[in-house]
Amino acid sequence: MSVPWTIKHKPKTISEMVGSSNGNGKAIQQFIAWMRSWESGVPKKKAALIYGPPGIGKTLLVETFAREHGYDLIELNASDQRSESIIQRVVGAASQQSTLFGTGKRLILLDEIDGITGKEDAGGLFAILKAIKDTRIPIVLIANDAWNPRFAALRSVCEMIEMKRLPTRLIVPYLKKICQKEGIEASDDALKLIAERSAGDVRSAINDLQAAAQGRKKLTKEDVAWLAYRDRQEQIFNVLRLIFTAKTVRGAKMALSLSDVDYNMLFEWIYENVPHQLTDLEDMYRAMEALAKTDLYLKLAKREQAWELLSYAFDLMTGGVALAREKTKPKWVPFKFPERIKLMSKTKEVREVQSRLAQKIKQKCHISSASALRDVVPFLRVIFEENPEHAAGLAKWLRLDLDEIAFLTQNNKLAQEIAELAGVKK
Amino acid sequence: MSFEMWTEKYRPKTLDDMLDQEEIVSRLKTFVKTKTMPHCLFAGPPGTGKTTAALCLARDLYGENYTEYFMELNASDERGINVVRERIKNFARTRAIGEVPFKIMVLDEADNMTADAQQALRRTMERYTETCRFILICNYSSKIIEPIQSRTALFRFMPLQEEYCIKWIQMIAEKEGVSLTEEGIRAIIDVCGGDLRKATNTLQAAAAFGGVVDDKAVYTVIGRAHPKEIREMIKLAISGNFVEAREKLRALLVNYGLSGLDVVRQIHSEILRMDIPERVKIELADATGEVDFRISQGADEEVQLSALLAKMAVVGGRM
Repeated sequence: MSVPWTIKHKPKTISEMVGSSNGNGKAIQQFIAWMRSWESGVPKKKAALIYGPPGIGKTLLVETFAREHGYDLIELNASDQRSESIIQRVVGAASQQSTLFGTGKRLILLDEIDGITGKEDAGGLFAILKAIKDTRIPIVLIANDAWNPRFAALRSVCEMIEMKRLPTRLIVPYLKKICQKEGIEASDDALKLIAERSAGDVRSAINDLQAAAQGRKKLTKEDVAWLAYRDRQEQIFNVLRLIFTAKTVRGAKMALSLSDVDYNMLFEWIYENVPHQLTDLEDMYRAMEALAKTDLYLKLAKREQAWELLSYAFDLMTGGVALAREKTKPKWVPFKFPERIKLMSKTKEVREVQSRLAQKIKQKCHISSASALRDVVPFLRVIFEENPEHAAGLAKWLRLDLDEIAFLTQNNKLAQEIAELAGVKK
Repeated sequence: MSFEMWTEKYRPKTLDDMLDQEEIVSRLKTFVKTKTMPHCLFAGPPGTGKTTAALCLARDLYGENYTEYFMELNASDERGINVVRERIKNFARTRAIGEVPFKIMVLDEADNMTADAQQALRRTMERYTETCRFILICNYSSKIIEPIQSRTALFRFMPLQEEYCIKWIQMIAEKEGVSLTEEGIRAIIDVCGGDLRKATNTLQAAAAFGGVVDDKAVYTVIGRAHPKEIREMIKLAISGNFVEAREKLRALLVNYGLSGLDVVRQIHSEILRMDIPERVKIELADATGEVDFRISQGADEEVQLSALLAKMAVVGGRM
């Protein structure tokens, strides 16, 4: 995969950000005004706390502002260790240095402060408070949830800036602009679906757009239909983690009741990830067999309206998979998105060609389209690969187009040759 | 230059042209003579002339314009019984004009319909019985519900006798100017049994090589017509490479357009041919049968086949 579009198409100026004039315009103005206030001496509130849900441009706002106004950005985020001493060292040193050396303008950014918890970060909050007290340069804090009781002391010393989820109508034009730059012709309803599914999270909308559209010339609503099946991944990851580490049936089943993830969707996630999570073959087999039984019960429950079967299905899908683990050592392996859901949208074109071909054979040969694919296509393939003249005659008789011919030859040059012989118009 | 699928080019046009199935043909001829017929159930293995018999009957009854009075639906293609009912209704509600007072509706692969759908079909058959006769075509009459069986005349198609198959294949080869050796015919018969469609397709594909059709050409066609991906997928699974095997499976189902049951059955015949301990063969055959059964119960093809691949991975690990 090439560069993530969230980076490739990052706004260069604040005015290019989604929602910079409306949407989050107010919050952005509030932030700029607060930064400006530093020009006339150290203000009363020496730190700003920008908060709001993920993917709406909190970090981006600070980064872009720093670039536009020539600030050096000193950044710490949740993946760094935040013990008291580190924060003191980094924040303390940086905030002091500017007074000592008077070099360029500086700005300290502490991203994802929600992550400051537990023993490792002990004293971290205290260190931040102390740094804010001592600082002579702006400190910006970023959090998803600013109303956590732990942040009470912080709230009182910070300029509170709230950024909100962005409405679909603002996200769509932005996605459209990206498509234009990438040379993709995207339908409005496809972009609208992506924007809606993102629930105001621009970053995830752009990621989804890239997953669906990269390498294509056109993007239709059907190409992004799989998004509708996707629940917020974080929630799914938590459920998967529970299932793959549970030691009891009860523990594993709990995962299901804790979430409101659709069980069919959860099934897809588990099914995709079993071989990656359970690497011992015997363990993997037990889990796959549990899933195969799950699938059978789910389908029977639906078809026969025998909903009492669901409870066995859930046992197997959660407990069956959890307890399949005997030899595989627990190890952190990232979860993968269910490939076959993506595959269905990616292979849409091939499947369409295939079904058109099946229809044409069906009409001429008095068989079902399933039988056309099973009983006739394999023989046609041999003929089309071996004998262009014979193939051309059949192509004409079946009125095949170039795509259908290419489906049979699996070779574009040969398909071209046959199409010419058969007089197929492009 | 004119090429067609030989199965269509040489498909018999009238009941007189039909091969073998003598008793069936003579019963159908009576229908033509008296211009009456009951609802019918044509049961038998693939390639034994069920659809051809229905087409010939229609042509003999109605003449060349038979398509006005005759409609073919495929139960496995039409989505749901409601579509079938709607189309039947539109076709059957108007009376046929002419000597024959009814139309004919052929419903192919009727054994793929669920019991519920068959019940609904039964009611539809009754409603339009005055204006329309049904010919239901299936492989297994036992998969047709009793009430329909009791309302239809059963015609049981047998696999074609070898001598007829040979005669047929030789006739086509002669007309198409294909030189066909004794061994070539033998190979076609061995591979295709009494399935004339498969035999004809095999001959046509083998003739496409451009040379003499001998046993080698026939086996080449058969080998290539069965995607080698299935064997590769099994090998990957047995060597413990499950993730890649599952990707292959996806490619087969999606790119090749094979149905899950096709894959299951080809896996089955591969397993028996493989160079693995006999006990393992029967263990895998058992697992394959289980998958076949579950898919026929409506389970997901890929999930079930994946479980089989996982089983192969375990068995391969033990070997």
